[in-house]
Amino acid sequence: MTIGDGPQRCILHADLDAFYASVEQMDRPELKGKPVLVGGPPEKRGVVAACSYEARAFGIHSAMPMRTAVARCPRAIVVPPRFDRYRELSRQVMDIFKSLTNLVEPLSLDEAFLDVTGAVASSGAAPVHLARELKSTVTTKVGLTISVGVAASKSVAKIASDMDKPDGLVVVDPGQEGAFLAPLPIRKLSGIGPKTEERLRRHGIATLGDLASRSDDWLTREFGKRGPELAALSRGQDARSVAVHRAAKSISAEITFPQDISDPHELGLQLDRLCQRVAARLQHSPTPGRTVTLKLRLADFSTFTRSATPGVPPRDALALGRVAHGLLEREVESGRRFRLLGVGVSGFVEQRQPPLFDL
Amino acid sequence: MKLSCLQENLSKGLGIVSRAVATRTTLPITTNVLLATDQGRLKLVATNLEIAIVTWVGAKIEEEGAITVPSRVLGEFVNSLPNDQVDLKLAPATKSLEIKCARFEARISGMDAEDFPPIPEIDEGTVARIDAGVFSQSLTRVVFAAATEDSRPVLTGVNADFDGKMVTLAAADGFRLSVDKVALLEPVAESVSVIIPARALTEVNRLIGDSSDPVVITVNPAKSQVLFTMDNVRLISQLVQGNFPNYSQLIPQGHSTRTLVDAEEFLRATRAASIFARDASGIVRLQVDPGDNGLGRLTISARAEEVGDDQGDIDAKVEGEEAKIAFNAKYLSDILSVLAKGEVVLETTNPSSPGLIRPGGDTDYVHVVMPMFVQW
Repeated sequence: MTIGDGPQRCILHADLDAFYASVEQMDRPELKGKPVLVGGPPEKRGVVAACSYEARAFGIHSAMPMRTAVARCPRAIVVPPRFDRYRELSRQVMDIFKSLTNLVEPLSLDEAFLDVTGAVASSGAAPVHLARELKSTVTTKVGLTISVGVAASKSVAKIASDMDKPDGLVVVDPGQEGAFLAPLPIRKLSGIGPKTEERLRRHGIATLGDLASRSDDWLTREFGKRGPELAALSRGQDARSVAVHRAAKSISAEITFPQDISDPHELGLQLDRLCQRVAARLQHSPTPGRTVTLKLRLADFSTFTRSATPGVPPRDALALGRVAHGLLEREVESGRRFRLLGVGVSGFVEQRQPPLFDL
Repeated sequence: MKLSCLQENLSKGLGIVSRAVATRTTLPITTNVLLATDQGRLKLVATNLEIAIVTWVGAKIEEEGAITVPSRVLGEFVNSLPNDQVDLKLAPATKSLEIKCARFEARISGMDAEDFPPIPEIDEGTVARIDAGVFSQSLTRVVFAAATEDSRPVLTGVNADFDGKMVTLAAADGFRLSVDKVALLEPVAESVSVIIPARALTEVNRLIGDSSDPVVITVNPAKSQVLFTMDNVRLISQLVQGNFPNYSQLIPQGHSTRTLVDAEEFLRATRAASIFARDASGIVRLQVDPGDNGLGRLTISARAEEVGDDQGDIDAKVEGEEAKIAFNAKYLSDILSVLAKGEVVLETTNPSSPGLIRPGGDTDYVHVVMPMFVQW
């Protein structure tokens, strides 16, 4: 794979700052300047979906149990999420992105990659000006702030957008990627999670510079073919293009029970509801997913998954339920108490034919 | 009912209406064909409730009457008869149709004609007349682009926009769009826009056949049904209700490369590439080399990891810069098949923007197709 012979690519990663929490602060001015936690209530084992910057000062971060978050900051205001409102604003922001370039790859409701190579070439404007304009358009039209990273590749742009939050703008000039990345901790690279981080640290690799300096041979020996791939990213080498119609990698739903459940019948009912939620979203997928995965967490927090790939990919709740129940039955034993149950579908065939218009 | 007609004419008539006979149905009588005497002729009718086809066969009527019998049984039996006079007689007591021809005799059990679904009479509404050859070519170029899945019903139809002396036909399935604008024989009294099921128009095109008589199109005042009147045949169809997408904005207004090639050569090279594209997500790659003085080349290639690859070159007159674009092999061969002969023009902007294909020469026909994403 080559980048191609075209002009220097210019990619923006744009990320809405503390999106859900900022929306709540925008819609309810009395929340401005206060620690706001969006998520389920602590007594129901809620999790922090988003928190305002005021709350982050207390060491609170998203995905933290609400109970822990409230313990750290008792005067924090807990607000239930309003996803319809977030989706509506997300659409407005994505539309602004699309007015700049039609190469927009949304990663979630609050972030997207934009390939502005064409816009830079045709307008003659410096990338930093385009990014500044984009930021001010979003702020004036929607009322929210974004942080933008500008670079010649997706991975560098994404890291850059995170460097100066909130309301940040970081430009990494072409050729400077290595120097920019070198001092950063390895966790900054998307693709390096806690487990990979631990393994790299055991080999004395703490920064992206450390990773970049290792030989591909050594990396292959220690980490398989993923080793050299990660090292290439740590050097700023990333040829992946902005994929406008990125098919979902997986569709899943999970629930943490208010109280642990051991009754097989009750677990089955919960599973049916999850299957219905996943199936509803499957309907919108252009291609079927082949693999069904059940996620389980026991009372002692041990978490594991079980997967099956049926001959016919499931497309509705009934077919999905059959496979998921089969997986669940093998895990239910007397005395085993479940804290969390999740079901997901993955293994979607890549969709290479984009539509002429949205159906 | 008692009448006689010629086997050849009866067989032809049954063949025409058989296209509207229901195949899977909850209403068993719709698998029958209605036979009825009608002003000195034998009228044949079939319907699947979406479309109905009516035709007439010359006959000598001795006794008026009507009956319905299973279309397949009657059709197959009549087809197997010699080309001779056929005598048809209804036996009211047993509701069966007696058929005599040469030294053959048959009885086919039927059902009451009164139970056959009534076929709507459309005798008022907007009337348009169009040349049979012009209409047929336009249908061939447009109808194939309609969606075959029912997930969005309006796209299973062809949008027909009658305005003044012109009719604009458009069909799209989400990945491609065909639009043609052709002249009517005289202006319509008022503009009307309807969505006609593609299946109905496929039958109309088949029924036009080699006929040169103008086709008369009548849309009823409620805009719920349309009648096509051809030489001795009528087809009535329900219309699709809903709003057709605003397609005019999907037609690219500019291009950076315009490539003119021979349609047959382009189709041959595309079919060759399709053999490999089958194992490569259907991807066929086109590369345009402008060459010198506009005498350039179009390269059509496909590559399947585990099968192999192929490449075909054809001469091209190119205006503009070199270009690369990839299409689904099926979409490309579909459009090239209907253009069939003469020159074809491909207009492209970049590898991720829709490509526009049209016949060379003076025509309002355009076909727009979305390219596939590939690594070049």
